[in-house]
Amino acid sequence: MWCGRRGDKVSSLCLVWLVLHESLFSSSEKMEDCLAKKMEITVSEAEKRTGRNAMNIQETYTAYLIETRAVESQIEGQCAPVESLWRRYSEFELLRNYLSVTYPHIVVPPLPEKRADFVWHKLSADNMDPDFVERRRIGLENFLLRVASHPVLCQDKIFYAFLMQEGGWKEMVNETGFQLKADSRLKALNATFRVKNPDKRFTELKHYSDELQSVISHLLRVRARVADRLYGVYKVHGNYGRVFSEWSAIEKEMGDGLQSAGHHMDVYAASIDDILEEEEHYADQLKEYLFYAEALRAVCRKHELMQYDLEMAAQDLTSKKQQCEELATGTVRTFSLKGMTSKLFGQETPEQREAKIKVLEEQIREGEEQLKSKNLEGRDFVKSAWADIERFKEQKNHDLKEALISYAVMQISMCKKGIQVWTNAKECFSKM
Amino acid sequence: MSGGAASAPKPLPSSGPKSLREMPHPLATSSSEEMGPALTPSPDLLLPRSIADKDLSLPNGTPVDTSSPASSSSLLNRLQLDDDLDVETRDLFVTVDDPKKHVCTMETYITYRVTTKTTRAEFDLPEYSVRRRYQDFDWLRNKLEESQPTHLIPPLPEKFVVKGVVDRFSEEFVETRRKALDKFLKRITDHPVLSFNEHFNVFLTAKDLNAYKKQGMALLSKMGESVKYVTGGYKLRSRPLEFAAIGDYLDTFSLKLGTIDRIAQRIIKEQLEYLVELREYGPVYSTWGGLEVELSEPLEGVSACIGNCCTALEELSEDMTEDFLPVLREYILYAESMKNVLKKRDQVQAEYEAKLEAVALKREDRPKVPTDVEKCQDRVECFNADLKADMERWQNNKRQDFRQLLMGMADKNIQYYEKCLTAWESIIPLLQDKPETK
Repeated sequence: MWCGRRGDKVSSLCLVWLVLHESLFSSSEKMEDCLAKKMEITVSEAEKRTGRNAMNIQETYTAYLIETRAVESQIEGQCAPVESLWRRYSEFELLRNYLSVTYPHIVVPPLPEKRADFVWHKLSADNMDPDFVERRRIGLENFLLRVASHPVLCQDKIFYAFLMQEGGWKEMVNETGFQLKADSRLKALNATFRVKNPDKRFTELKHYSDELQSVISHLLRVRARVADRLYGVYKVHGNYGRVFSEWSAIEKEMGDGLQSAGHHMDVYAASIDDILEEEEHYADQLKEYLFYAEALRAVCRKHELMQYDLEMAAQDLTSKKQQCEELATGTVRTFSLKGMTSKLFGQETPEQREAKIKVLEEQIREGEEQLKSKNLEGRDFVKSAWADIERFKEQKNHDLKEALISYAVMQISMCKKGIQVWTNAKECFSKM
Repeated sequence: MSGGAASAPKPLPSSGPKSLREMPHPLATSSSEEMGPALTPSPDLLLPRSIADKDLSLPNGTPVDTSSPASSSSLLNRLQLDDDLDVETRDLFVTVDDPKKHVCTMETYITYRVTTKTTRAEFDLPEYSVRRRYQDFDWLRNKLEESQPTHLIPPLPEKFVVKGVVDRFSEEFVETRRKALDKFLKRITDHPVLSFNEHFNVFLTAKDLNAYKKQGMALLSKMGESVKYVTGGYKLRSRPLEFAAIGDYLDTFSLKLGTIDRIAQRIIKEQLEYLVELREYGPVYSTWGGLEVELSEPLEGVSACIGNCCTALEELSEDMTEDFLPVLREYILYAESMKNVLKKRDQVQAEYEAKLEAVALKREDRPKVPTDVEKCQDRVECFNADLKADMERWQNNKRQDFRQLLMGMADKNIQYYEKCLTAWESIIPLLQDKPETK
């Protein structure tokens, strides 16, 4: 059983996540209605489970304990009861998919990575590795808090049920039929290529999110290599400890000084483990925004899709109107196979033509209605999406600044430790 | 004119004109012989270091504005580490500096200026300034080994550059070598016997050393047996305990130093690899900064900060390569040459024992020990005495040198971290800065 909250590294962890919680409430949006303010949400534990999956094959997975407690009753001095339930990663995924489809204009918070990526050699890429599980637990908690503090998302009933209702939640989600609303990737790709007049801001945003993804990936990759090398530097110093000890055995006056200095070298070598573990949390903060970039892209894609749809509908309407006109006036302005065949095989009767025109007119009317509503939809989407994007930008700037500050603080702490150890060693050397 | 040994006072441990110079460092423990009242560091020791040991490690004038106790105690280091405390008791000062490149038709080489200041009677003038090249130092060392075989002669920096493509004329190489040559001469200067050696005198004073060298070759053949110690293939049965102990000590000592050398090299290698990654890491923040608006300055700040850390790391690695490793290697060479002296001593003793045995076997009527055997006995006793005295001096100096070397290493690391600390602390306000708009 894991005791995540009450871990050893509470101090630095707290710094990072308290700061984060602060950021969730610092947005200028009206936060009083947010679930996060009314309820304490934690992912407090992680547990290995075995079970049988859909194909009746035995599998091992990790389950996470979600604990919630109403805030209000605490003010009266009474402790509200803690409600809890267990969820596994795939359920979180389901929740997020649901939210993404249901609120396509929202930049939906990302989940922590499914598989360990950007690892350096000491980090395990194994999903069952305790350190990975621990960092994932924190990431999942963060995800829930982000959703709970989003003015729109926090009001979602499925989300609420995810937190409160253990049984039958999956069925509830599936009943919403959200999967049907999901846009196919192929459709989206097609729209991206063919859309003619997307909102410029979204095009820029798409560009930005691509670049952001690229630069953060690069950063994470290099950071992992830097961590690897730094680890090597520190660890080799441990060898000094051993050889100083051996050397001190043959020395008279120098012996003590050498021996105790050697001890400090061992301390120095050992110190890198904690330092790099802390840095992983910084990497996790960056990763969140790497994945957020994908969420941004999703919103842009949705816009492109809607815009393309609109353009197609408008185009369709125009061509129908044209057909109608041609039929009515009898002029063939554009080449059409029908026109040719009718020329070859004889023209239609006026009745036939009349019928066709009527159908077309009906279709045109429908089309115009649809176009109007699509236009409206599109404009609404752009407006609400952009509002959320602005909210997101503010959040991002705040969070990343805090992340950079905490990184600088980590570096400062590392430097101070280094100074301390070498000062101690120097003192030992001076006594040689 | 015989070789150097004859003109120098006989080097017995507890007597000799320069008793003060043999005085151990006052911070040494009482196990070493004390010759007189312990001297306290004189306050005017903040002398320019050209006179005293100008070694590897001290912060070279970087302003001490950091709050770390380490750098402010460096002044104290200077006071504690000076070998000879009362400048007034020294009467011979030698410095090596001012390397210059000479380009001739046959070759290109470096010469160093050797400056001597002295009040000794053995020198005609109070001051000398000559130019010497590495071969001259090498010649001097050989001469000293020949003429003072019972003494431990300090090592020279390696003659040939072993590791691949090191530039013999690069500033770093020349400076490292200069320091080592300076140390070499200072060690001889500090030695109560070697410093009076005639060859040493000539080395310091002669305008044309080459002429003397040629002359010296002729003299060699005239030198008496008293100088040439026979190594006539006598086998020593057993080394006396105390010398065996010294031999063992030197073996282990060399081994440990060799290990430390390898570790230090490995650390430098890892640091350089770390540096390579850091050099890629910093600019990525800059690239990101270019993407952002509000975060642009903080990201640029982080990028610059990492750049500063890179510079600091580079300096640390350079210092370790130039100052730390050469001294380690010097001591390994020292230990090797000392082991050879031990072997020579064994030879002398073996010869004596063999001759003694031969006499005992002959069973002469009068058990008068022939002068030949007597001479051998003398030789053994002198050798042992010289060696013991030199070992003690060597131990003290070694302790000083290593204390200084290792403190220097610690210092450099402290400075590295202080530089990084300053860089990171200075960007905190930049990161926390709230934009005016909003």
